Amino acid sequence: MKLPISMLFDFVKVSLNAGEIAELLTMAGFEVEKIEIVEGEEVLEIKVCSNRGDGLSALGLAREILAKNTSASPTDLYIRASNRFKLPDENTRSVLSVPVTIECETCSRFAYRGFKGLRNISIPDWIQKRLRQMGFRPISFMVDLTNYVMVELGQPLHAYDLNKLSGPAIIVRNARVGEKLITLDGVERELTPNQMIICDSKNPIGVAGIMGGLDSEISNSTIDILLESAHFNSQSVRKTRKHLGLNTEASYRFERSADPEGVVAALNRVRELVVESGHEQGSLEGVTDEYPGALKISIITLEVDRVSKLLGMMVTPDECRSYLTKLGCSVDVYGDIFQVKPPSWRPDLVGEEDLIEDIGRIHGYEKVPELLPFGSTARGGVWGFYRLQEELVERAISFGFDQTVTHSLVGSSVLCNRSSEPVEIRNPNSPDTKFLRNSLLPGLADVLIRNGTSDGHYFELGSIFQKLENQYLTQKSIALISCGGLMPLNRKGDQVPVADFYSLKACLEHLVPTKLQYGDSSDARLQPFQQANVRCELFTGILGRLHPKICKLLGVADNVFAMELLLSGEAFDDSTRQHFALSRNPSVRRDVSFVISKEIPYSIVEKNLQESLGSILESMWLFDVYEGAGIADGSHSLAIALTLRKSGENFTDEQANQEREKAVRGLESLGAKLR
Amino acid sequence: MDQVRDVEEEARAAASQAKSTQELRDLELKFLGKSGKLTLLSREISTIAPEMRPAFGQAVNEAKLRVQEAFSSQQESLLNAELEVKFESERIDVTMPGRQIRVGKMHVLYSAMLRVKQILSGLGFQYRESPDVEEFKFNFDYLNYPPDHPAMDDQDTFYIDSEHLMRTQSTALQGHVFSDTAPPLRVFTIGRCYRNEAVDRTHGHTFYQVDAFMIDEGVSMAHLRGTLGAFARELFGEQIATRFRPDFFPFVEPGVDFAISTPNFQNGNWLELGGAGLIHPKILENFGMDSKKYSGFAFGLGIERIPMLRYGIDDLRYFYENDRRFLEAFA
Repeated sequence: MKLPISMLFDFVKVSLNAGEIAELLTMAGFEVEKIEIVEGEEVLEIKVCSNRGDGLSALGLAREILAKNTSASPTDLYIRASNRFKLPDENTRSVLSVPVTIECETCSRFAYRGFKGLRNISIPDWIQKRLRQMGFRPISFMVDLTNYVMVELGQPLHAYDLNKLSGPAIIVRNARVGEKLITLDGVERELTPNQMIICDSKNPIGVAGIMGGLDSEISNSTIDILLESAHFNSQSVRKTRKHLGLNTEASYRFERSADPEGVVAALNRVRELVVESGHEQGSLEGVTDEYPGALKISIITLEVDRVSKLLGMMVTPDECRSYLTKLGCSVDVYGDIFQVKPPSWRPDLVGEEDLIEDIGRIHGYEKVPELLPFGSTARGGVWGFYRLQEELVERAISFGFDQTVTHSLVGSSVLCNRSSEPVEIRNPNSPDTKFLRNSLLPGLADVLIRNGTSDGHYFELGSIFQKLENQYLTQKSIALISCGGLMPLNRKGDQVPVADFYSLKACLEHLVPTKLQYGDSSDARLQPFQQANVRCELFTGILGRLHPKICKLLGVADNVFAMELLLSGEAFDDSTRQHFALSRNPSVRRDVSFVISKEIPYSIVEKNLQESLGSILESMWLFDVYEGAGIADGSHSLAIALTLRKSGENFTDEQANQEREKAVRGLESLGAKLR
Repeated sequence: MDQVRDVEEEARAAASQAKSTQELRDLELKFLGKSGKLTLLSREISTIAPEMRPAFGQAVNEAKLRVQEAFSSQQESLLNAELEVKFESERIDVTMPGRQIRVGKMHVLYSAMLRVKQILSGLGFQYRESPDVEEFKFNFDYLNYPPDHPAMDDQDTFYIDSEHLMRTQSTALQGHVFSDTAPPLRVFTIGRCYRNEAVDRTHGHTFYQVDAFMIDEGVSMAHLRGTLGAFARELFGEQIATRFRPDFFPFVEPGVDFAISTPNFQNGNWLELGGAGLIHPKILENFGMDSKKYSGFAFGLGIERIPMLRYGIDDLRYFYENDRRFLEAFA
């Protein structure tokens, strides 16, 4: 809300400049976001919290200044506003004698004043200037005036051209199926039941609390006016406003709640200003005021010693009472117990905590000291599966992979996981936020493409989502993508190893120090026969080379390798890991080189050697794989270095040779032929 | 005896003249080798009168020792000279670039999250998470949002179906924790939050939020300020000032906005970090906690805000683009 500073000074006498007022209001909870000079005067731009409709007026903000600044004093206007601009004729019905019927509970009060013969009258310059400063477009005498009074007092008003109404009646009711209304903005609105409207004897003439109808619009030639001031239920206005997509100054205030007791005061203030504008009579005599939903305000009990306890700063009972009174509450003191009745403009005050907040605001949060928490609590820190995730990130970084953070909201991608149903967003704001990712690979591929280099090694650990029957599953996943040189190229001629299935497999095996099981896989995103399923107690996943067709669609080279592991949610249990005493004896190496059918997977060879050699086999290293000239089709030659070690004694050459013989005999049982 | 002295003189003179270690080795053979001059001289002991033999033997041995010493000292200075030549020929330009190795880099958002986890863990808060796809009630109802309140307008929401949405605030964890944990408790979370907003420099549809809360007997705004103060000083330096400004969030009462000011950032202007306050007693009561006995505080702030302030990053989109130059800048 924009407010020229002079409108505040109309209500409150205080020797503060605009900057100081801004600071005061900000620290009272009405954040001044900007001070602009418009037509030679400071105009404050104020953000009002959604529970403080009373702050959407000069009167309401003046009240806060008076509460928070002890040297501020109210002006005559403030005092008259506090007395609701009482006029002697307000208790008699308007001579206009247009009957008001309220047919729905969402309208608790409807009042009007009649105006006649508003000829050759224009709004005073000082009001015009302020309206311009606040950004209101000048429309007509009465519309401008109602806008002005709305900002002064917070009460939305609406003026109808008396001569355009059909029949002398105002009816407030819910719309009927099929009813239509062209609103002031010229749009025909299809109304639905539960939308509150104002009607004359025949037709809808306004959407209650939001916008009037075009047919009864007043213009500069309008001389006879019915001026509405009413109180509408904030939720009802909000629902209708959202449904019609029609946000107005009036609906904004009603949604945040206006003061039901200020309804007639606003009419009286308009009458005053009409007189000030040079119209002798002001308005017709009397106010018609239907008020079926009289306001009920509950008394709040405040245990005053809880104020200091919860705020963490000392506020005396006298101060508490003083602050609440200044904000408009009536306070009855019974020892340590206050019985507090909030004012009609503060529907947000319903519990003790609300009063404590107001006392804190006015006393000043800058006085709250800093104390560190105390007392007992559950163990702090990052535990279990949460810690495992941190470890996985640390490990992936240690392999030389760059960590990425990509969006969970995505469009469709060729790298989506086709075996899980994606979760769909009902109201996406673009095709790129239509789904929740069900795989981290599309995001990683995007990173690869964005950076456009021939080598890239990236990973992400994050949530992926899938729809499973009517459940939405959120699961943690880690994915790595790797292509090109594993080391940066330094000088011409350097031999740089490049990413392949086995380099990524090595990363996988270092990711978790636990036994992995590999199985056949047929993921359509990966190249056939260069992919594997992998599982252990911590995760299940896939590992392989991106399918060349997919690489082509993505526009990347066809040497991209990827893996994605779906984490089970369990932490790594390392209680089964055990330390073994290190042998002080030297190891010996024996190599075996043999030709074997490619039908026999390496894992069988490995197992065979382990069985032949038992515990003396410390490690084995497959250091050569060869097929081609000299080797029969369907076979290949493997060369494996065996490291043997005993504990407590050294190997003699002869013993080592005997062990190698054992290994060879074992391999021969698989059909291997020594080279 | 003169002969011994002469040979010694000759050997030492020759050693000191040697120009290379090779020449020195040849000379060593010439004087100290099997048929070297000094070796041969020592064999002449048999031609000498018996009473002279001990003195002669001693003289020869001493001469040998001195010659050996002369050779090794010359050897060392020749080696040093040769090394100097070698060093000069192997001189390198230390300003040439280092040989690149691949070093994985941590994402700047993740390192901010790690820091936050360390700080809050140190203050006794336990880390937990709740799902991104959240039930409406955890995101709003359990957090004391009145049905269809304008407070929800600040949080344009992505919906999945009538009961599920993309959580708009990681505060949604509260309902989960309060359902399974009795006070006293201190818990925090970091999670992605989603708002249905168009993306530009200062808006994203996704951001990370840390949310922390504690409940115990006697918890006050002072403990909130102390915790936030400690937290913010760890992140932004010891010299910061802190400020509470009244604000409205349905799940806290009193509710405040938490701001910091430091000469290091934006001329010491107040920079708002996030929302905070005392947990609304209605929430405590709804989860069966006695609000007269227990009170609690909660605070939340965007993770992106931390590197943005610290490093002067002025465009949110950088965080999710993963440009290699950006990833490397803060590693």
